This record gives sequence, C-alpha cells and structure tokens, in this order.
Amino acid sequence: MKVFVNRKEIAIFTGARVIDALRSYSLRSAGLVIKGIYTVYDRYGNITEPDGRLTDGQILTIRKTK
Amino acid sequence: MKKILVPFILSLSFILAVTQPAYTQKHKGPVEVIILHVNDMHAKIDNMAKLAYLADSLRKSHPYIFLFSAGDNFTGNPVVDMVEDKGYPMIDLMNQCGFNLSAIGNHEFDLGQEFFNKRREQANFPFISCNIDASGAVLKQPKPYHLLKAGKVKIPVLGIIQLGDNGMPDSHPSRMTGVKFTDGITKAKEFSWLKDKYGMLLALTHLGVEGDVPLAKAMPQIDVIVGGHSHTTMTAPMMEGNVMIVQTGSGLKNVGKTTLIIDKKKIVDRKYELIPLASVKSSDAAVQAAIDKYNDNKELNRVIAVAENDFTGENALGGLMTDAVTAIHGVDISFQNTGGIRIGSIPKGDIMLKDVYRLDPFGNEVIVYKMNIAEIQSLISNAFNRNKEVDLIPSGVKYTVVTDQNGLCTAVKITDVNGSPLDPNKEYTVGVNSYIAASYRFDHRDAGASQFKTTAQTLIEYLTKVKNVTYDGVARTAVKPEK
Repeated sequence: MKVFVNRKEIAIFTGARVIDALRSYSLRSAGLVIKGIYTVYDRYGNITEPDGRLTDGQILTIRKTK
Repeated sequence: MKKILVPFILSLSFILAVTQPAYTQKHKGPVEVIILHVNDMHAKIDNMAKLAYLADSLRKSHPYIFLFSAGDNFTGNPVVDMVEDKGYPMIDLMNQCGFNLSAIGNHEFDLGQEFFNKRREQANFPFISCNIDASGAVLKQPKPYHLLKAGKVKIPVLGIIQLGDNGMPDSHPSRMTGVKFTDGITKAKEFSWLKDKYGMLLALTHLGVEGDVPLAKAMPQIDVIVGGHSHTTMTAPMMEGNVMIVQTGSGLKNVGKTTLIIDKKKIVDRKYELIPLASVKSSDAAVQAAIDKYNDNKELNRVIAVAENDFTGENALGGLMTDAVTAIHGVDISFQNTGGIRIGSIPKGDIMLKDVYRLDPFGNEVIVYKMNIAEIQSLISNAFNRNKEVDLIPSGVKYTVVTDQNGLCTAVKITDVNGSPLDPNKEYTVGVNSYIAASYRFDHRDAGASQFKTTAQTLIEYLTKVKNVTYDGVARTAVKPEK
C-alpha cells in the first residue's frame, strides 16, 4: 500500500503500522518519534500513536512535539 | 441570623452542586449520559486501577455512566497474551472496572476463535459487530448492536469492525476460518432504522479515523462515533458534518469522557473531554491488587523448550529465530538482522518464555514477500553494505558475500541448505521482520504482507513445538574478499 509521510510517498507492506512508515521514511525521524521529540499527526491534525495500523492512502505529518 | 444563614445556604448549594448530577431521571426533563471510552488497550493493564477509580467516582454522583472499549483489548503484553488462559487477565480487569460494552477489533481474533468465545462468555459485557457473519465458524455470532438503558431512554450502539485490502480484519487469515465479513459502511446502513426507532444512534467502531470519516459521511444520522484502530489521540472531537468522532489513542494512556444530553428522545448536546490517566492520582485498591498479581505472573518463567547446548553468538541465535519463522509461517527462506538479536547467548538447559522476550523484545511482526533470486541477493547485498559486515542471518539458504577491496559487496552466492543452487525461475516466499521490511532498501516487486504475528510469538510457538533445540557451530554465511 501507499501512504504519505511529510508529503513523501512511501510504498509499504500490507498491514503496516505507523512506525513502519516512519522507518521507511527516515530511521532518524522514527527514532525521534519514539523518544517523544517528534509527534505524528494524521491528515485531520490528530495525534497518531506510532503503533497504529495504517490505511492505504493515509497521510501523516511529523512535527516537533509542542 | 442572616450572617449565619447565607454562608450556610451557599455551602449547602455547593455540596448539592458537586454531589448531584446536572440531569437526573427523577424529574421529567433532559437526561445526562456519560460514556467513558477507551480503545486499543492492547492488554496494557497498568492504568486499569485508575480507570476503575475514575469510573466508580463518577458512578457515585451520576446515574448513567457507561464504560466502552472500541476494540483491540488483547495483544501487546505477555502477562495477558502468553498465559495459559490467553487473554483472561484482560477480561477479569475489564469486568472489575465495570465495562458495559466492547466493539470487536481485529486483534480480538489473535486469541483464536475458541479462546475468544471463552473470553466473551467470561465477560460481563457484550462484544458487538454488525459486519461479522459467524454462521459457518467456530466463533459465536456477535450481536450487531446493543441497547443502553438510561431510565426510560434507550440508546442504540452499533458495532463495526475494519477490513483490510483482503476483505478481512488485520489478523492472520487462519484465525478467521469460516467467518464472513461485509464492508462496514454498507452493513451499517442496514441499521439506520435504529435512529428512526430510538431517535439517536451511536457507533462503536474499530475502523480507524480513515474509516470513521467515510462512515460519518455515509450515515449522517449517527450522533457520535466512538472509534478505535488507528490509535488516534483526540484532544478535541472531530466533527464530520453533524457527526462527532472521538478516539483516545492506545495502550490505556487516556480515557475519553463523552457526555450526552438527551431530551425527548434526541441528543440535544454532546461534549467530549480527553482525560490522561496519568492525571488521575488515585487507584481502585482491589483492581490494583489484581494488576499486581497478573504482573507478577510466574507464567513468564514457564519452560517452553530445552537448549541442548549453549547458544552463543549471532549465527546460533539468529539461526534459531529464522528457523522459527520458516517453520511457523511456512516460508522458504527467512532472514534476521543481527541488530535485532538482543542477547549474546542462551545457556544449555531450560528456555523460558521470558528468555524469548529478552532475545527479541521489539514487537516486530513477520512480513512475507515473494521474491526471486536477484531480489533476495539485493536484500543481502544492501544489508551487508550498511556496515560492511554480515547483517542478515538466514534460514532455508546459505550465502557467501564477495567483497571488493573497500569491503563492499560485489556479489552474493546463494545456495539451499545442502549447497545446491537455487532455482532461477522460482519465486520464493521470504519472511523478514517488520524492521527489515520497513527500513532496509532492497528490490522487490511484491509489496509484502504482515502475518500479524510478532517474531517473538513465532519463536515461542516454534520452541513449544520442537521442545529440544541445538545450534552447535551453526554458520550459514560467509564473506569472501574478491581476488
């Protein structure tokens, strides 16, 4: 399936979780999310936990934690 | 006298204000219903005593408190998942908290249908889903909806489960034999009569936000969607048209408090609040005692196999881990990255459950690809070049990496375990963990698919099955500098 992280298209396996897409996007960014320095948001601006399952076409944005 | 009476009356008013609900059923008028809700608890039990305390505190002053779970109660904590009576601790604690209702999430199927049936029998609350047909399955048919009663008011709650691209929830298909699933939105529309009959409609969904928004668009008659699956933490409710969507994250870190004001069979006001359980400073003592008992479970000391020799080093331990993947998932080949092998050895003797979690603590899942030889070689080559050393321990094949003068891989010679060449025309099934699948760069036409089972669970199943294991002098990889 395809998802988007910070507008970059990521091809990822079926059944992937948010953390998988982040690791595919950037291992460093994934690490910062795990440490709580960065936070993941969905297309509606809600916080999404790294262990959440992805849906095809999902749009994620990583931003520095407020 | 007036000086005494005024403070007294004011004090009495304050006491009444905090001890009496704003709306009761004692007079004819609006009814206040509070729904406390969690989702995707994933067997994380440590905050359950705080949840119990919070729910009980509210019950003392409000007549209509309901506690919901939007599914995925199980999977994610060995003290719940790996005990002999799989999942029971979660049900016991949910009963003690006074849960009223749960949606069925995809991970409820991880228990297997028989175990899930047992857990449902033990639960003091129903599990609901409208898009599951279990008529040809071991699974007992869940009810599509549940009617809450708040005095004379009846509130219908409709359950819906997500489906993946394969038309099934995100769990291994073998766990759902005989169960038929229908698209959640299509099926939910058949229950729109609930709104006509009762004047209101709630949905308790396990669709994820990406599924809840289309549901809200397709069924604007829904008043509130209490959702789960996407592990979304909503500090404020989402509004899609007039439908309110709420979700509270995962792992029982938060609880949602959705308050409904119902008047003349209609929801006239809705409020939502996210309560971090860290902010709840008191706990229910009895529930905490039960949590402590479950966390102290000796089950993790259970012996599941015997090591016939000392396993030392990445080849032996990685060999064990990958053999488990090939055997349990029925794949031709599997690979384990050395960075994911977290202990240096397993000593000769008993192997306990906790040893597996020490060896493999990450919760990575098994991902399976169909790959040809060139693709497998690209995986090995790219993995090697990350640090100019062997990174992937295989099962099902042996390989030699040929390196140039800079130590970079120039070729990969790969054979089966007997040293015979692989079939160049064959597509092999290859299992890797989700860390490799997500973060390693390699050629693959197949997108890959999660088996919805962690590598640790896979290893536990394997060790339980084979009982005795020996990995003496295992060497499935080699490096040969180019001449």
